[in-house]
Amino acid sequence: MTEDYEVEFVEREEREARFVVRGITPAFANGIRRAMIADVPTFSVDTVRVVENSSVMFDEQISLRLGLVPLTTPVDEFEIGDEVTLSIDVSGPNTAYSGDIVTSDDLVQPADDNVPIIELKDDQRLEAEADAVLDRGREHAKHQGGVAVGYRHLQRVEVVGDKEEFAKEEPEILRGVIEDDGELVATETFDNDLTNRYPGKEVEVHDIPNAFVFHVETDGSFSVDELVTAAIDSLHGRATELKEAVQL
Amino acid sequence: MSYKCSRCKRDVTLDEYGGVRCPYCGHRVLLKERSRDVKEVGVE
Repeated sequence: MTEDYEVEFVEREEREARFVVRGITPAFANGIRRAMIADVPTFSVDTVRVVENSSVMFDEQISLRLGLVPLTTPVDEFEIGDEVTLSIDVSGPNTAYSGDIVTSDDLVQPADDNVPIIELKDDQRLEAEADAVLDRGREHAKHQGGVAVGYRHLQRVEVVGDKEEFAKEEPEILRGVIEDDGELVATETFDNDLTNRYPGKEVEVHDIPNAFVFHVETDGSFSVDELVTAAIDSLHGRATELKEAVQL
Repeated sequence: MSYKCSRCKRDVTLDEYGGVRCPYCGHRVLLKERSRDVKEVGVE
């Protein structure tokens, strides 16, 4: 593996980003991807104490739904196993949303306010108290901070000549990011169809070795920046641990 | 064990000898109410 590598953003938002990393091996790229999915801890509801549930759903189903609500998780503020208590109390006719959840610690609260939990009719009520626990995605999918995390090769499009005059006009679909004269172009800009960008040209597509386009989306527990940095930190931590263990 | 009569909606306590019957209105359909204790559920 090379010592230097560079990172370049294609798009960058709070919860979603696309960036190119050059100079890393496929194994390392996959290591980062896996760390983002399984090794960055987030808070999730783990036990629910149901005080009243006169809704149409079983306590267990409601608990499961509460467990899947993404909770904001400040990085480095908590340790694995830490607990935060949440509560919810909604009476019908009304819909209980994640925004109705009241938290005991303002650092940990629902990432979105509009996740429906259950619709309550007249005389129905949901009152519950829940403990959220900090844990990793490898323990349970509800603790995954990174969702829709993946990577693919950065590709280079080479014009090899002109198309024959009466050649069939067939679309050449390519999805991802291409490099053109050192400039990164997302294929969505030309509707994922190379014939839009290179009309009448014969083109060849090549993978650029050791350059990967990551697409990262978080569930709202933290920003993409925090997720990627935390994943790298966990990878680095484990590598250091292994190094020390091997040296004896 | 507490039940609720489905006709007169009153709380009914059953004893060993009375059989399944509401002592107030004689209705034989009784509904079991949810217990008032807090139930703890794990999220799996």
